[in-house]
Amino acid sequence: MSERWVLAALGVLALGALAVPLPIYALYVANLLLMYAVLAIGLDVLLGLAGQFAFAHIAFYGIGVYTAGILGNRLGLPFPLPLLAGAILAAAVAFLIAIPALRLHSIYLALSTYAFAAAAQWVFHSWDSVTGGADGLRLAPTRFFAWHIIDDRDAYPVLLGIAIVTIALRLGLQRSKLGRGMAAMRESEPVALASGIDVRRVKILAFTISGFYGGVAGGMLPLFQSYVHPDSLGLEALVVILTMVVVGGLGSVGGVLIGVVVMGLLPELLRDAAVYRELIYGAILILAVTLMPRGIAGLILRAGK
Amino acid sequence: MGLVAQAVASGIVTGAIYALIALSLVILYKSTGAVNFAGGDVVMTACYIALLVLVGFGLPYWLAALAAIAGLFVIGAGFDRLVIARIVRQRHAHNSLVALVIATIGLSDLLKGSVRLFGYTDNVQTLPPQFTGPPLFLGNVILLRQDVGIVGVTCVVMLLLYAFFRFTRLGKGLRATADNPRAAVLIGIPVQRMRMLVWAIACGLGAIAGLLVAPKILMTPDMGVIVILAFAAAVIGGFTNIPGVIVGGFMLGIIENLVGIFISTAAIAVAPFIVIMAVLLLRPQGLFGGNPTFRKV
Amino acid sequence: MTLRSLLAIAALLVGINTANAFPVGAPEGPYKDPGITDTEIVIGLFGPESGPLRNFGFDAMGAAQMWYDMINKTGGIWGRKIRLVIDDDRCDPTALNAVIRKLVTVDKVFLLNGGSCTAAVVAGQEYVTREKVPLIMLNAAGDGALFPPTRYVFGAFGGTQLTVGGTLVDFVAKELKAKKIAYLGSDDDFGAANLAAGKFMAKKHGVEFVAVERVPRNLVDLTAPMLRIRQANPDAVIITTYPQSATLAMQKVSEFQLAMPIVAAVQAVPNPASLVKTVGNLAAFKNFYYGSPLNDLTDGPRQKWVIDMYKRAFPDRKPTAFMAYGLPSAQAVTYALMLAGPNPTRESFVDAMSHLHFVTGVMAGPIEFGPDRRDGHNASIFIKFDGTKSTRMPGVYVNEFRGK
Repeated sequence: MSERWVLAALGVLALGALAVPLPIYALYVANLLLMYAVLAIGLDVLLGLAGQFAFAHIAFYGIGVYTAGILGNRLGLPFPLPLLAGAILAAAVAFLIAIPALRLHSIYLALSTYAFAAAAQWVFHSWDSVTGGADGLRLAPTRFFAWHIIDDRDAYPVLLGIAIVTIALRLGLQRSKLGRGMAAMRESEPVALASGIDVRRVKILAFTISGFYGGVAGGMLPLFQSYVHPDSLGLEALVVILTMVVVGGLGSVGGVLIGVVVMGLLPELLRDAAVYRELIYGAILILAVTLMPRGIAGLILRAGK
Repeated sequence: MGLVAQAVASGIVTGAIYALIALSLVILYKSTGAVNFAGGDVVMTACYIALLVLVGFGLPYWLAALAAIAGLFVIGAGFDRLVIARIVRQRHAHNSLVALVIATIGLSDLLKGSVRLFGYTDNVQTLPPQFTGPPLFLGNVILLRQDVGIVGVTCVVMLLLYAFFRFTRLGKGLRATADNPRAAVLIGIPVQRMRMLVWAIACGLGAIAGLLVAPKILMTPDMGVIVILAFAAAVIGGFTNIPGVIVGGFMLGIIENLVGIFISTAAIAVAPFIVIMAVLLLRPQGLFGGNPTFRKV
Repeated sequence: MTLRSLLAIAALLVGINTANAFPVGAPEGPYKDPGITDTEIVIGLFGPESGPLRNFGFDAMGAAQMWYDMINKTGGIWGRKIRLVIDDDRCDPTALNAVIRKLVTVDKVFLLNGGSCTAAVVAGQEYVTREKVPLIMLNAAGDGALFPPTRYVFGAFGGTQLTVGGTLVDFVAKELKAKKIAYLGSDDDFGAANLAAGKFMAKKHGVEFVAVERVPRNLVDLTAPMLRIRQANPDAVIITTYPQSATLAMQKVSEFQLAMPIVAAVQAVPNPASLVKTVGNLAAFKNFYYGSPLNDLTDGPRQKWVIDMYKRAFPDRKPTAFMAYGLPSAQAVTYALMLAGPNPTRESFVDAMSHLHFVTGVMAGPIEFGPDRRDGHNASIFIKFDGTKSTRMPGVYVNEFRGK
């Protein structure tokens, strides 16, 4: 089975959900998965495609959420302006941190970007006048001129559209010259440099694109949720997305999407075993990296994509 | 003025706590290239093991301490044998750093989830301090005997580790293994066994840290978040420089308290992150790291 | 796996979902709302069964359960038994949102009874308002979802953080005659709310806040804020942080040998005996008080019936700090269901809730709601704790601050 079948299957299911009256709870879960899909694919651009071990992704997501939320609340801007604004701002921030990050490698890059994400969470928590601070921010329903997106049923087609666009862009990126440059850089920076790739430029672009995706995912939240709290924008959330990417398969779009579905549905399956949740989660992480080094993608997809 | 003196003194104590935990992280990184995001939860687990033996079984303190250290020895060795060994054997060297980090994050969840199941987590807990008696006064500055004990033990451990890596055969062998694992195998160093030993020692060191600091910072199942402060201390000092870690710890503790006094208490939370970013930006090798040689991954 | 088999699986899933579109458990017969039949009412009970904030609510859920069990054993309400669907929100906003959606759309409950953490409950407010489902909080303070009041959300059975802050300052000013107060609180929405109420009451009494220290939850070294508090030379110190910070603060009180009265909020001291053991120095508690929204000490005569009931319901468990707070919430639900008559709807239930005014036998003050009031409880008692003995201080303090 190759990636193409996986994407086709997921596509059929997702589009099928449009045609059939599903229970609204299922649509809520689907909306969450769509948002996580964009978020995870964005992280994978940096981590899986470009091989940069950077942990700042949750900060880009937060910037996307608050920007879209504030523009929607205070200025009443219609969709898709708040989302695009959030994505552009997140990309800009990613661009700015990419420049100093050029000098850092592996664990130092990981630590500094993690510190950035933690500092960003502190800003979300402390900047009362803008983000609502520790009280959280209520998100007004998204408008598209006269039409309001009120519940999960309204939101699903919009979120699905956004997800399809971003996945298509990512697939395009993978095949493009830039994408191949990122892959080469991931395999070996000195060799990439020697074969004429402008590693600095590729790295900066990888960060910026990843930040853009994070901001888009953040802008998706106000479409189906009415509240955001800074506590959900920290290390725990980052680990959730990281797990989706790693369990699914670094660098593989189909794999990451499977990882999103599996890890995203896990809380539903573990509902009855509530007290064992953390324990099971830790065990899954350990089992995934020891038994499935290339993720689920490595297991079920053909070796050569 | 008394305010600043007390802030500095208390900062040195807290800094020693960060440094003690950081030492466990650093010797692991120095020997195996692994970064242990569960470093703080290791400390936490040791504390709760000791608590269980002390309060749950009613056994004497020295037995509780022994159980904690031995227990963490076993957990560390076991984790290496069952998890790390498998990851290291996998082909893609690039992925192995990510895999190692994920594995330690998994360990963190596993430890926290297990401890929460065993009770004693309803209330904030503590362990008996090793150094008791009336507090000491240096002028207007108040220091508990446990505080002085923590700083003292940290310095002793630091000296022992420094000597170990610099002068003993085992220590030098570990450094060689870390620098070039393949060459180490070729010259007959039993890499697998030594790595397991390092994990056991690092976790055992975390247990000692836990026994010392629990009376000071108190026990909750989430106390492991202190690991990020230990990372900050290590980064300031230069990640592989053992004496640097201590200095880094002291500096971080003092900076936190001074920020708290002169800026605001709310700003203390973000100070370590600003410090990490600033140091890595301006001088990535830390204060004492020498040339920034990054591991070839 | 071939494309064909994949399409077959997709078709099967779509088929199953189509079946789900016409669910079997739809509202039956003459009942307008889901979750109610001739023989039962379905209540969605939720709180933190797992996770780091478990201690704030799992026992309050237990108390609600035991109350509903008792109601069922004594015949139910208008001939209907209460059936609980229990779920875990981990005190997390995202999880709570999923839980309430599931309880409402999949389990089809009549009303929601749950929520032990304010930030999580606030996240669910818009959904229940839009879907017109009553949400009766368990023991969450709930400030952000109760001010301004909205029709479907009721709460604060243990008092809001406004109650906490207002009554603390009231007590310190009236009973301890303090003129200068130092404040140590958390840097989140809780702290903001109790500080605002505290400042209001301070102004009313002509009392001054000489130090305001707000600390993050994870801070392990409280040297800086406690030093500033010491330097401000207050007549009394109030502590409204969470337990870990409060314990660390009391360690500093012991270290610095601070002698002025220390008055702590209920959330700071879930277990006074454990606090003393951890601080390890009785001298620090010479002048120590803490507030409580209950009507007595936890082992006092007025609380005995609650403890006895708990022991019968859960013979293998020992009650923890916030257990009793689950009772007034369940009581309110059952009384409102009784008052709503033999054929309640969600709307008639909400109307009944809006006029509730009753004595609980467990809290310091009555539970009172109104057409514009959704925070039910507003009183506090204070207890002097010298490290070994707890003594109830005279008086019941009522908060007067109702928000900006």
